[in-house]
Amino acid sequence: MPDYALMNQRVFEGDRESVAEMTRAALEAGRPPLEVLEDGLIAAMRVVGEDFKYNRIFVPEVLLAARAMKAGMAVLQPLLTSSEGDSSAGTIVLGTVKGDLHDIGKNLVGMMAEGAGFQIVDLGTNTSAEEFIAAVREHRADILGMSALLTTTMVYMKTVVDEMRAAGLEHVRICVGGAPISQAYADEIGAHGYAADAGSAVQLFKRLVAPSAPPA
Amino acid sequence: MRPHLKMLERSLIERILDETFTVLESTGILIDSPAGFERLRELGLPGDDATRRVTFPRSTVERAIADAPSAFTLFDRSGEPFTELAGDRVHFVPASSALRILDRSSGEPRDATSADFVEYARVADRLAHIAYLSTAFIPKDVPSDIADGWRLYLALATSEKPVVSGAFTSHGVPRMAEMMSLFRRDREDLAARPNSIFTCCPSTPLRWAEDAIQNLLDCAGWGIPIEVVPVLLLGMISPATTVGALVLHSAEVLSGLTIAQLVRPGTPVLFGGAPASFHMQLMTNPMTAVEALQVYCGYAAIAKHLGLPCQAYMGLSDSKLNDPQAGAESGMGMLLAALAGFNSVSGPGMLDYVNCFSLEKLVFDDELAAHALRFTRPVEVKDDLPTRPLLDELLRENHLLTAEHTLERWPEELYLPGPMIDRTNWEQWDLQGRPDSTARAGELIETALEDYDVPPLDPALDAEIRRLFSSTCNEPGVELPALVERR
Ligand code: B12
Repeated sequence: MPDYALMNQRVFEGDRESVAEMTRAALEAGRPPLEVLEDGLIAAMRVVGEDFKYNRIFVPEVLLAARAMKAGMAVLQPLLTSSEGDSSAGTIVLGTVKGDLHDIGKNLVGMMAEGAGFQIVDLGTNTSAEEFIAAVREHRADILGMSALLTTTMVYMKTVVDEMRAAGLEHVRICVGGAPISQAYADEIGAHGYAADAGSAVQLFKRLVAPSAPPA
Repeated sequence: MRPHLKMLERSLIERILDETFTVLESTGILIDSPAGFERLRELGLPGDDATRRVTFPRSTVERAIADAPSAFTLFDRSGEPFTELAGDRVHFVPASSALRILDRSSGEPRDATSADFVEYARVADRLAHIAYLSTAFIPKDVPSDIADGWRLYLALATSEKPVVSGAFTSHGVPRMAEMMSLFRRDREDLAARPNSIFTCCPSTPLRWAEDAIQNLLDCAGWGIPIEVVPVLLLGMISPATTVGALVLHSAEVLSGLTIAQLVRPGTPVLFGGAPASFHMQLMTNPMTAVEALQVYCGYAAIAKHLGLPCQAYMGLSDSKLNDPQAGAESGMGMLLAALAGFNSVSGPGMLDYVNCFSLEKLVFDDELAAHALRFTRPVEVKDDLPTRPLLDELLRENHLLTAEHTLERWPEELYLPGPMIDRTNWEQWDLQGRPDSTARAGELIETALEDYDVPPLDPALDAEIRRLFSSTCNEPGVELPALVERR
């Protein structure tokens, strides 16, 4: 039986080489990939998430752990069936809306969500509704995340929400964020979720893809 | 001598600048716009097609620094000289572009209207230590694509003082410049007698985004004074330490300055900035963080060394209310800004990470500005050296209250603060009904609004500007709000 506690510890320490090596060793010892993923990597990231939430660790440690987890994932990925690979989290298309070039907050949301096991498709800044929709279709996204930092560009989120609906993508959960955005605004434009920071954004994403999440 | 903050040895400034030149010359700056990239190549900067990075030969940057004015004059609405941004002359200005305002009656943040802006501009116009105005927040009652220019119009229509402003889109500057030129004979006259400073922001690290590069090129083309304002987040998109941050910051500012000088030699450029810390837990960006303050004062020293005027986002607060934190952060920032000799200090009135503007804070900050400015008065001998004759008189009379020296000097020497600084004793304060600072600020605001007496714009000019907005916005013919204050 691989020492999953030690492997968790290595993820926690952000030790990429050890994590990749221990993942390989566990597979060579005949453990099922899904078990290695769950007990070796995801379990560690769950603790990381909790520790961050309760201020026991800081942003850099979270990102280091996420990087270590990715090193393990890279070893596992080819062995996971596509449904297993998907079952770990979900796919999020992320971008800053048209006319807006602020991306620091969006990037943090992406990094933290990636750390929590989500697949991130980052469209960058100045993203049009057409680009969002094309990416959502191409990557079969579960969630579309939009960021806006300007009072003059936040209104474009409504356009995207409307066009997503018109494109028949009602099943995709839409989340919004950025300094001028509020829960009230999210509700007003018909988005499914709002989060005030990257930590709560990850909680939100998890809630939205959970099997018990309300259907579209 | 004027009290001055000294925090970098000359030799360290030189090392920082050497490294800055190396960064500009070898790493260069990413120009995130095909048109912008082409334009910079036409202007003679080496660029790599594949990476769209432009590099800045040291000699080009040095020539640009030499071409950039070390001082410049801002003119008022009607074209009269208003003030000079030169040397260690400090101006405190409302911070810019808040998303919301703090409602005076509820104390809650809310969206702003044009009427709120007019009220703000009338008050700011009256404040003695707020040197000129800014487009402090965004009115939400006009189509969003003209919101940037509309607030500048509201400022120009309400006050004769210069205005710090900026555009929100790549096509924003020309419309705003057209409007400003209506106050002058023509375009060249506007360049010769500028009424505004425009903010242009590189995207840290080492990048000019599409809108920003266009704004920079347009401002320089029109000869509008520019403040180049990088926003470093220490530890996230910048080295966490001061010296490394100063190299990155300086490289970005000097890239903007060089581009502006290549477009139009002599364009006034302020060595600006809004460096912030990065909060490793909350992921917020405090510009008031103590380590950010060190970066501010550091780049002021670099700007002075290069003989360039400088600008900072100081005197703001990240508190959500006008509470002790707001007072402490603003006061600390403003005193440091004055000591560092920043020529234009954007901060007064701002709360909550540059997101929320408060009129009450603005009147409080006006008082803090008075304090900071007074502190930097030169310390000189004023008939008080030798001191013994004065001391003899003191010992003889038991006081100096009626001494000739006091009578002559005290009105200038001993500052009586306005109502925002409470100097009553407890009983005096109790007898006055224990006015708290919000109540006192409210009274000052009301007085300022009553005293306001700026002549309105010429009706024909006013109509022309309104036509410019209603015809060019994306809801043509939309009814634009009237110029009334919210009472
Ligand atoms: C840094 C910054 C910049 C940088 C951006 C660099 C970059 N690569 O992003 C630069 C200097 C380039 C810049 C440029 C401009 N800026 Co700016 N900028 C800021 C500033 C100071 C901080 C933003 C930031 O990065 N915060 C830190 C991050 C971590 O926080 P955050 O973005 O809020 O993100 C968090 C949450 O909101 C949430 N979140 C974010 N996105 C999402 C998405 C989803 C799906 C979810 C769930 C959550 C979520 O999680 C994030 C992490 O915790 C803000 C003020 C402020 N404090 O908000 C002004 C601010 C937004 N900018 C402003 C302005 C005016 C501009 C300019 C127009 C200035 C100019 N004249 O050129 C240009 C805009 C150009 C354009 N077209 O976009 C104004 C907006 C005014 C308005 N009323 O709309 C502000 C409020 C400052 C001000 N008062 O002047 N800016």
